[in-house]
Amino acid sequence: MKLKGNGLSYTQIIAIILAIIFLVPIIWTVLSSFKTMGELYSFPPTLFPQKFSFNGYINTFKELNFLGIVGNTLFVASVATIITVFLCITGGYALAKGTFWGKSGITNLMLMTLFITAQVTMVPLFIIIKDLGLLNSLWGLIIPAVFTPTGMFVSMQYMKGVPDEFIESAKIDGASEWQIFSKIVIPLSAPLIAALSIFSFTWRWNDFVLPLIVINSNKFYTVQLALGSFQGQYDVSWNSILALSVLSLIPPLIIFLAFQKFFMQGLMSGGLKY
Amino acid sequence: MKRNIINNRFVFLIPALIFFVAFALLPIFLGLALSFTSWDLINPIKFVGLSNFRKLLEDKWFWNSLVVSFKFTGITTPMLFIVSLILALLLYKESKASRILRAFFYWSYMTPIVVAATMWKWLLSQNTGFVNYALSLLGFSPISWLNNSITALLSICAAQVWILSGFMMVLFITGLQNIPLEYREAALVDGANRIQIFRYITFPLLKNTSILVLVLSIAYSFRSFTLVYIMTAGGPGYATTVTPLYIYQTAFTQFRIGYASSMSLIFLIIIMAIALLVMKIQKREEV
Repeated sequence: MKLKGNGLSYTQIIAIILAIIFLVPIIWTVLSSFKTMGELYSFPPTLFPQKFSFNGYINTFKELNFLGIVGNTLFVASVATIITVFLCITGGYALAKGTFWGKSGITNLMLMTLFITAQVTMVPLFIIIKDLGLLNSLWGLIIPAVFTPTGMFVSMQYMKGVPDEFIESAKIDGASEWQIFSKIVIPLSAPLIAALSIFSFTWRWNDFVLPLIVINSNKFYTVQLALGSFQGQYDVSWNSILALSVLSLIPPLIIFLAFQKFFMQGLMSGGLKY
Repeated sequence: MKRNIINNRFVFLIPALIFFVAFALLPIFLGLALSFTSWDLINPIKFVGLSNFRKLLEDKWFWNSLVVSFKFTGITTPMLFIVSLILALLLYKESKASRILRAFFYWSYMTPIVVAATMWKWLLSQNTGFVNYALSLLGFSPISWLNNSITALLSICAAQVWILSGFMMVLFITGLQNIPLEYREAALVDGANRIQIFRYITFPLLKNTSILVLVLSIAYSFRSFTLVYIMTAGGPGYATTVTPLYIYQTAFTQFRIGYASSMSLIFLIIIMAIALLVMKIQKREEV
């Protein structure tokens, strides 16, 4: 049931005021990123830049190797997303439509790990990544992150909704298991694949904990790791850090605007900040 | 035999299962095993029995980190609950304006945590931040937000509320839209005012959503690491060192792998216990 509102009510006016307050951190960062270094550190601070300066942005390209770190991040996020989607749809299909010993046990075990995150298992995870020889490599950011209990859970629930009749009738027509999966299940899962891709890409783009423990050379920095690490370095000016912050906001923003409905439905609410 | 294996569709689970075992299940058991050892990653690993746990009992900074984590969660959760519920009540009715406004609030949640933390650090910066600038316009002197134990903790709480309230708002909106309009209309006919309707009809019917919001905000706040790492690095002193940050420092700056593992284990047990407790309370209230 939809509740219809009419025009701007006073509740919406209150909401607009709150929205402006909410956006202050973003607005302040964007405005500051266009200030010159002198203006950035003057007291009292200015609200709007007196003279628009693009130095911060130029520095992120010249000194902070912006294109390199974006390249790394895009590589990690895209490859991880492809693998995650594959694991989720195959695994979700098996858990939803399969009949084998230990199914419910495995399902419960996977669901349990929803509560356990990298923040708690980072020490043993680090040892495993080290023993696999993946430390300080981009694959070390991909391989350990591709399994997501949230994604598995959502896939399983979605696959349960695929009508059994479709699968059965294809079987009677002589289709192999793989044909059933690729010709029937995958096409029916298009919305699921879209949602999983969007979320997985966003998770990997925004991730900080895994890069922090895996990567130690700037050659393999991701955008978030670069942003976090450069803040501790005295030779990197705040000017560039603010510019980098603004730039790294853009991809999630584009994804959000393009796929608003996926996010606002709260469909995959569970572990969005995995 | 082969046919049977394919027909039960277990094959499809194998890829996911490999990654699940290697990177979700194994770390838990490895962490358990490591917590009985002493290891600096260089010298041979040594079995030390329960000595890590004995040390933990006396480690006042570990207990301090738990207190900080509880304070952080304890302050954040009610604030988050109230803010997101207010936003949802303002915006749950469908209209073009509220859809656009919802997106504005949700953007804070789409912001990568590192960026959010950086922006808040900049916003609260003593000499160059907007908050002190606004205070100075009102005639107050600047406050060193992130260098004072109390204001530093409150600052990370505020940032956490900022990050999560758009998301919790969406959960509340979904819950509010699922409440049949008839209930409220009937109450209105009976002469109830808006506050009474909220108190006796809307809020009780929102119970499931409320519990979801509480559980998620407790879980998110306990595991919060990046926000604190970037905004205060745990300081001043240990005033904002939450447990995940203390574990990180023990493992990756002091290289006490075994000791950090035992800490993770205790912390995991505490998180699980809280999750179970919340679920139990929920079950009891359903009866």
